[in-house]
Amino acid sequence: MPESLKFHFTPVDEAHADEKNVHEKASTDVADTIDILKKEFPDGISDVVVYAGEYTVFVTRDSLVEICTALKETLGFSYLVDLAGVDRFTEDAPRYEVYYCFVNIHAKKRIRLKVSLDEDDPVLPSITRLFKAADWNERECYDMLGIQFEGHPDLRRMYMPEDFEFHPQRKEFPLLGIPGSLPLPPRTPEGGLTMDPFAAARQGSPVKSYQEPESEF
Amino acid sequence: MDSATGYLTTTVDAVVNWARSNSLMPMPMGLACCAIEMMAFGGPKYDVGRFGSEAMRFSPRQADLMIVAGWCSYKMAHAIRRVWDQMADPKWCIAMGACASSGGMHRCYGVVQGIDNFMPVDVYIPGCPPRPEAVIHALMDIQEKIRNEYSVTNDYSSGSPHAELAQPESARLTADGRDLSLNGSGLVHA
Ligand code: SF4
Repeated sequence: MPESLKFHFTPVDEAHADEKNVHEKASTDVADTIDILKKEFPDGISDVVVYAGEYTVFVTRDSLVEICTALKETLGFSYLVDLAGVDRFTEDAPRYEVYYCFVNIHAKKRIRLKVSLDEDDPVLPSITRLFKAADWNERECYDMLGIQFEGHPDLRRMYMPEDFEFHPQRKEFPLLGIPGSLPLPPRTPEGGLTMDPFAAARQGSPVKSYQEPESEF
Repeated sequence: MDSATGYLTTTVDAVVNWARSNSLMPMPMGLACCAIEMMAFGGPKYDVGRFGSEAMRFSPRQADLMIVAGWCSYKMAHAIRRVWDQMADPKWCIAMGACASSGGMHRCYGVVQGIDNFMPVDVYIPGCPPRPEAVIHALMDIQEKIRNEYSVTNDYSSGSPHAELAQPESARLTADGRDLSLNGSGLVHA
């Protein structure tokens, strides 16, 4: 078997605990950046996890914006690659996580931040003022998991219709959906045409009944 | 003479159906991966021009065959139904692929489990995606269906849903000026 296809790294496997991950990349080794962050924000960083040569920095909610500002303005991580939410669905740890992946294009480095959020208080400050790219990602995260981003310029649903009441990527949401929560057009031609699901985007208000307003002509 | 089977109507039917079935203008409702195979169906290799359907119409007003190719989300269902309602009668519909026919592998909250939940379908094509030959077969099935229709009696008999339109205006307008034969959105439905 060629070396590149062998499976080398299993974190839970004690026997291989000190084996090196052969797929490890120099770009994910950001120990020096994390040292700087730790020195500057001693209370902002709750944990640093290293797995397969990749660093994950757990930051607190209150210092998230400050840390992102420092990453962007002084440490050169000017490119937000990804931002999304995770539903861990556990009782003993905070239920939600939101992660942020940044890239320093000139130094060829990648870093990942994570914020843990409690089920009762899924609110985060928005970083759209720093990274424009966060806009739609935060909307997606809000749509799918119901995490609120304070200070977001336009926190509407990304995928689901605007009057949808649930957050489908939460683990308690059934895979096949909740019957009747998403209206279909009427089955008979006499039912009339149906509503625009994007009403709020055009400064209208979505009508729950999906009934076409009467024609003026 | 029974008007549904009379000599004149069946002869006219034969001519009308021949013309209709050999000049179907498809409305390509390409929603997902199946749309790629639909392009192959319209392209030169499979040459659907042999069946008179090579001219895809991107306006519902000019089309009489809707090919729904791909999975349809609940949000899109309203748009598809709106386009379908704008197509002039007579019209036909092909549900192309497993997703349009039944939801297919997208058995989840966002995808309508078959477009026949909100609009009529004449031919279903199985496959993920169906090959262009299968789409041509579906088209030939539609042609077969058209050739066996009583077009004249369907369109103009007194039992037609459009019969109200033939009434004098005074009989179909209400006191506040609304037309009883039109629905709330102002369109005539078959
Ligand atoms: S049937 Fe297959 S190819 Fe067609 S839309 Fe569904 S997943 Fe895509």
